[in-house]
Amino acid sequence: MTVGGNASSATGGPADGTRLQQLQALGMLCGFSAGAWLGAAEAPTKLVTAGVSPMVVSLLMVAGVFLARWSLPALVRGTAQIRADFHAAPHLVIWGVLAGCLWAVANTLTIFAIRDIGLSIAFPLWNLNSLLGILWGVTLFRELRGAGKLRWLGVTGGAAVMFAGATLLAVASSAQTTPSHALRGIVAALGAGVLWGTMYIPYRKAYLTGMNPLSFVAFFTIGELGMMSALAISYSGGAAGLAREIGHAKPALFWLMLGGFVWVIGDVFQQYAAKYVGISRGIPLSNTNQLWGLMWGILVFGEFHGQSGATLARVVAGSLLMAAGAGAIALASVSQGEHERWRKAAQREGVRYGVAEGYLRAGLEGREAESNSSGKKGRNWLDWVLVLGATAIFLWLASAAHAPQIAMNWTAAGVLCVAMLAFLLASAIALQKVTKFQ
Amino acid sequence: MTSEEPAKRPASYWGAVLSDVHFWIPAIVLLGGLLVLHWIQ
Repeated sequence: MTVGGNASSATGGPADGTRLQQLQALGMLCGFSAGAWLGAAEAPTKLVTAGVSPMVVSLLMVAGVFLARWSLPALVRGTAQIRADFHAAPHLVIWGVLAGCLWAVANTLTIFAIRDIGLSIAFPLWNLNSLLGILWGVTLFRELRGAGKLRWLGVTGGAAVMFAGATLLAVASSAQTTPSHALRGIVAALGAGVLWGTMYIPYRKAYLTGMNPLSFVAFFTIGELGMMSALAISYSGGAAGLAREIGHAKPALFWLMLGGFVWVIGDVFQQYAAKYVGISRGIPLSNTNQLWGLMWGILVFGEFHGQSGATLARVVAGSLLMAAGAGAIALASVSQGEHERWRKAAQREGVRYGVAEGYLRAGLEGREAESNSSGKKGRNWLDWVLVLGATAIFLWLASAAHAPQIAMNWTAAGVLCVAMLAFLLASAIALQKVTKFQ
Repeated sequence: MTSEEPAKRPASYWGAVLSDVHFWIPAIVLLGGLLVLHWIQ
């Protein structure tokens, strides 16, 4: 069903209930898919990080992210559509670059946090970003306004329960680590959470304005790679020092960039979740990545082998709490009243930055704006250069990569990969069917 | 004007951006993050 023919939409009124339900279900599915892929992104880095500096790890992941963020949108929509989005809302380039800078600094902080207090303690600390996301969603973008007490309770209570579950998992996982420089690690993890929680302000601003997530990530990555390169050069004692460090990390390049590539797939789903269910719901759902990270740790890398029954009980209880919290949020659907508040927040953007009303409305309703659809469609030579170039770089790096020297359960890894692919396929098909990747 | 036509563009994009709280909150948080990173290093 398309919304273009909907009478109420055409007059600027709210989209109809059926369409809202479709977009709601799509956003929730994307949130869960984001969790699966973001949780798996740490797995390749686990294979290779020994002996590689945090800055180089972060830079190489960002390089993988950069390749993925230009090649995937080129493959799915074509760069002509990115240009059309830029012409419709050029001011969003600033927010895209700003969000990319926030991501790069946050990602670097997480690497220091993992080094100082371990992944298991750092993870729930930076996952506090979902609570900050709810705060920004409510105060700046009118999310949850007019939603009713039950939906408020579902979202805020669900996020609080997820946080409690994450804390239990952290307590259980702390048996695995011997924290050193605890204060520094905690500050780094909390700092990353604040940066990531605030990064959702640009996300939400872009999607209220009607920008396609695949266009926004292309602008985002310019800030991301620029900031990360500046940090890496600065902290490596200059470009020559950085080049030496990258040269030493050559066997690890493929795995680190693969981690970045996997992360991008998760992030694209997170962006669609933020677009269709808002940041107050989409971000907590994608934070189920901690559960997936735990599954990779336990099932594939055998992290809890030989631990006590009490530790395993905490893992099970924490996981159940996180799943219950995510379920509560998934059930707190967006009402017509709340969607109307979103529309008003979008109008504010339109008036302030001179964005066409039709473009704003099409974005909120998950369809292509007429101003975009009248342009050239399909892929051009530049799109194929980007896709083939990124593929060639990954194949070249794979040929120089060393096989991981770590004990792994390959059967479990295969099962998790199949589950991730199932989420990928289900979300991609739903996005194509309901919104044509708008 | 139809709904697909561009609305009136602001007289100054930079003026609109710099007076938008949606810009300043992330900008200040970014600055804070860089300071934390500097302290950690």
